[in-house]
Amino acid sequence: MSDHTMEHDRLRESTALYVLEALDELERAEFERHLATCADCAEEVRSLRTVAGALPLSVPQVDPPFALRSRILAAAGAQAKKSPTVVAMPSAPSSSSRLSRAGWLSAAALLVLSAGLGVYSWSLGQQIVGLRERLTDVIAQLDRSQEETAVAVRTASATQTRLTVLLAPDMRQVDLEGQPAAPRASGRAFWSRSRGLVFTASNLPPLPRGRTYQLWMVSADAPVSAGVLSPDQSGGVAETFSTPTDVPAPVAIALTIEPEGGLPAPTGDKYLVGLTH
Amino acid sequence: MWVLCAVLSATDSVALDHGALERMVTGDHDALGELYDRHGRTVYSLALRVLRDQGDAEDIVQEVFSQVWRQAGKYDRGRGSVIAWLLTLTRSRAIDRLRGRKSRPEPIGDESLLSDLAAGGPSADEQLTWAGHATRIRTALDGISTLQRAAIELAFFEGLTHAEIAERLELPLGTVKTRIRQGLLTLRDRLAGAH
Repeated sequence: MSDHTMEHDRLRESTALYVLEALDELERAEFERHLATCADCAEEVRSLRTVAGALPLSVPQVDPPFALRSRILAAAGAQAKKSPTVVAMPSAPSSSSRLSRAGWLSAAALLVLSAGLGVYSWSLGQQIVGLRERLTDVIAQLDRSQEETAVAVRTASATQTRLTVLLAPDMRQVDLEGQPAAPRASGRAFWSRSRGLVFTASNLPPLPRGRTYQLWMVSADAPVSAGVLSPDQSGGVAETFSTPTDVPAPVAIALTIEPEGGLPAPTGDKYLVGLTH
Repeated sequence: MWVLCAVLSATDSVALDHGALERMVTGDHDALGELYDRHGRTVYSLALRVLRDQGDAEDIVQEVFSQVWRQAGKYDRGRGSVIAWLLTLTRSRAIDRLRGRKSRPEPIGDESLLSDLAAGGPSADEQLTWAGHATRIRTALDGISTLQRAAIELAFFEGLTHAEIAERLELPLGTVKTRIRQGLLTLRDRLAGAH
């Protein structure tokens, strides 16, 4: 590769920065040296200048204050004449020569004005009350939507965890059958040693007061608790549990009913049982 | 409404501006007033976008039109449109004020950022009317990524170097470089394609 090509490859990315004047002094000097010898970069710089030139038009258009025009013209006038005496100054009214009648008139005008201001400030006060109410509404709305967002985030996060288990390469599925205590119930467990356990069930009988369902991973040694769960009103449940990665390989998964809070080992009736294969 | 007026007057405006500068050389104040009436709003809006302060923006507009009044005689009409010159001066002065810098030497040379713009543009594609630009550049800006747009605007309207932009956006230097170039290239293609 020639020196020029290597230099070109390195500096090509700088065309836009050069056009936007976003290079520092050294970089700019280096790029300009390259530009003088590189037709490709010169062409790109030329075309990008047109684009940058249009950027001022993207800004919101705002009318300047009316008085600015006359200030600009007055300043130009002052520059042209080079003489301070020529600058037009508004003639100040001499206060001493205006007395009596004019004074009374302005006092009357002031009265009218202050009455007007009173009405005006009352109406401003009303507007503020209205605005404050609207602000309260808007803040309440904002709080509601933040809560909704939090719920959505939690749901999404639970779904994500569930998916992680279901898509795990070491995922094993276990179908659970209803036992005599709950003949119509059925369930399904998805277990991955590396990622945890997802459990779903339907038609579980409602729990008596002070009782909970507890899920067990039954191995040759002893049952290990996966966690406790409560079905919804229709007897359905879908829960994700994290399980210890060193848990003994289960020969079965079982659901029992236990005192609230769960126990270290099962004591109650079995409601669902499924053998791993 | 302003856009519509600009469309109608765009072609004549270039000639009118050149005429106004020539009259300003002879000390004709009305010519300055006319130039201000045509472009004061565009100039003020740019200064306001950069400085975000009404008083500062007014100062810049006054400085720019003052400079144009002083240097009308030095302006070479071969260089292109007067509005491009006005906007180059405005951006440069506004950014200097924003960043607390002393004003740079007053640019009126070919190197000015906007020198290829509008009537001075060499190719037919660039013979865009001023207002056509306005609508199109807004649409085109909506079409690039937020990051590209942010980086470009930080450079153009706030006068940051690419290193400062990288710091502001918490991105690697190389990423900023690429984003800015890709953004401008996309804008260029969109502006050309929308013709």
